[in-house]
Amino acid sequence: MKPIMLHGHERSITQIKYNREGDLIFSSAKDPQPNVWYSLNGERLGSFVGHNGAVWCIDCTWDSTKVLTGAADNTCKIWDCETGSQLNSLETRTAVRTNGFSYSGNLVMYSTDKTMGFPCEIHMFDIRDGSQIESGNPYLTIPIDTSMSKITSAIWGPGEDFILTGHENGEINQFDIKTGTRIKGCKDHTKQINDIQPYKDNSMFITASKDNTARLFDMETLEPLKMYKTERPINSAAISPLHDHVVMGGGQEAMQVTTTSTRVGKFDARFFHLVFEEEFGRVKGHFGPINSVAFHPDGKSYSSGGEDGYVRVHYFDPNYLDFSCEY
Amino acid sequence: MTSGKSWAEQVDLVDEGLPPPSEEFDEKKGVKTVTEYKHNDDGKLVKVVRTFKIETMRLSKSIARRKMWKKFGAAAPDPPGPNPSNTIVSEEVFMQFVQNKEQPAVEEEDPLAKLKNQKIVQCRICKGDHWTTKCPYKDTLQPLQEKLEEGTKKPEIAPPSTTPAPKTTGKYIPPVMREGANKGRGESMSTQRKDEAATIRVTNLSEDTRESDLQELFRPFGPISRIYLAKDKTTGQSKGFAFINFHRREDAARAISGVSGFGYDHLILNVEWAKPSTQQQ
Repeated sequence: MKPIMLHGHERSITQIKYNREGDLIFSSAKDPQPNVWYSLNGERLGSFVGHNGAVWCIDCTWDSTKVLTGAADNTCKIWDCETGSQLNSLETRTAVRTNGFSYSGNLVMYSTDKTMGFPCEIHMFDIRDGSQIESGNPYLTIPIDTSMSKITSAIWGPGEDFILTGHENGEINQFDIKTGTRIKGCKDHTKQINDIQPYKDNSMFITASKDNTARLFDMETLEPLKMYKTERPINSAAISPLHDHVVMGGGQEAMQVTTTSTRVGKFDARFFHLVFEEEFGRVKGHFGPINSVAFHPDGKSYSSGGEDGYVRVHYFDPNYLDFSCEY
Repeated sequence: MTSGKSWAEQVDLVDEGLPPPSEEFDEKKGVKTVTEYKHNDDGKLVKVVRTFKIETMRLSKSIARRKMWKKFGAAAPDPPGPNPSNTIVSEEVFMQFVQNKEQPAVEEEDPLAKLKNQKIVQCRICKGDHWTTKCPYKDTLQPLQEKLEEGTKKPEIAPPSTTPAPKTTGKYIPPVMREGANKGRGESMSTQRKDEAATIRVTNLSEDTRESDLQELFRPFGPISRIYLAKDKTTGQSKGFAFINFHRREDAARAISGVSGFGYDHLILNVEWAKPSTQQQ
């Protein structure tokens, strides 16, 4: 396969996401301009201009009309995907680490960092209610008390019932979006959870952790189902919607990259079998650790964004699509 | 990255005298060819030809509508189609399929197991596939052979001891060339020469070979007095040849016939008599 390299960022990629139909790729990086690309030919549709700091997270609605970005300039912004104009800007007290549109696209969730004496918080807005957006007062604030460590990744649960959060100490929690109470939690990981991605039918999700493992959990019960073990911290993991496969990206930490060679650094994307927990393939390409991976919703291509600032869009060869594990 | 074009290209736009860019579209093949001209860093005129494959796809309405959206932000000045400064088709990469099933275990086969199929043990009496001491014809054939061997053995051992007949002329002969020059160098030299008679040279060894491997390979032929494996001084890897001293010359002879041409570690071994080092000097 010939990957398409998308070079629209000057700094390392923080998150990439496909829209629901897979024709657009959203990319955010530690520079202030998130981009949107056509996945088919790698053409850049546009960039969202207005942030003043590293953009940590990006999401779009199911109908690809609105884009949500959270940045280290203490704002979470809502953009019009068609024109790239800013619709709303939500001020926060600290950097926005994770965000997401709900299934319907009507609710917005974001979490803030615990810095400068402010606690880590989850804020929820209903974007249909103009007064909430204009005043900047969320309809619900869930403070993460000091006994819990800060949120490093979060997604919406299925059906707008709860939010799933991954914490710096490896905990996973579910928070009710109406009352703000913690429903249940588990602590199977021992280190920071870098990424959470759901399966296509929202029945389970995969976590990528700094403790060198990725784990598969049941969405409702948080029961650990599978574990994928490597010898390096994992920054991102995604489940294929087409095959029983998992792709994982990682590498050693960014601060240690300059002291090791590319070969030792292990910057390739790794493919594991979902059920057998066995690695079956690798794809090389990035010059630094992979920070974010995402599968196209049809499962026939995937993208990875790395510390090197490039997004690489891979369309699978037939030998991958025909590949099946022997058992 | 504000305008999407690098400063070099912007300068080129001001340049005059450039042939206008052209576009050709081959409808049958669906290939579009875009030809552009620009000056490179050395001020030379460069023709840039890019070919695109145009594919028509049936997609949902919403995707088609999004495809018609106007570019915005940093991409606003870009013409339709991918901007080569942002979108680069990189080199071909392949998915490397890894199989970490129990394959290594198969490769870790005992090198001696391979030997089993070949004749390394040959009876001196009946030339059978067993040790001489275990020969079933030991009692009947051995006395007979010993008699025969006595006849053949003697001339074989004799040559090294017999030196050319001394010449007696009045001429000056340098000490090295005088009679007995080879003998008189001391006890140690003569014992070494005796050893050389039962020394074989093994070449075409693989780099991973160690002395213990050779020991294993040659021990079945008879007692070994010394194994010398040539190694690189710095890396400690084998240089690909070794000398093996047997106690008995006939053991060495059997080792030559048994192991020469034998496949060991994917290489075919070459075993022969070692040339005495004194002859080379």
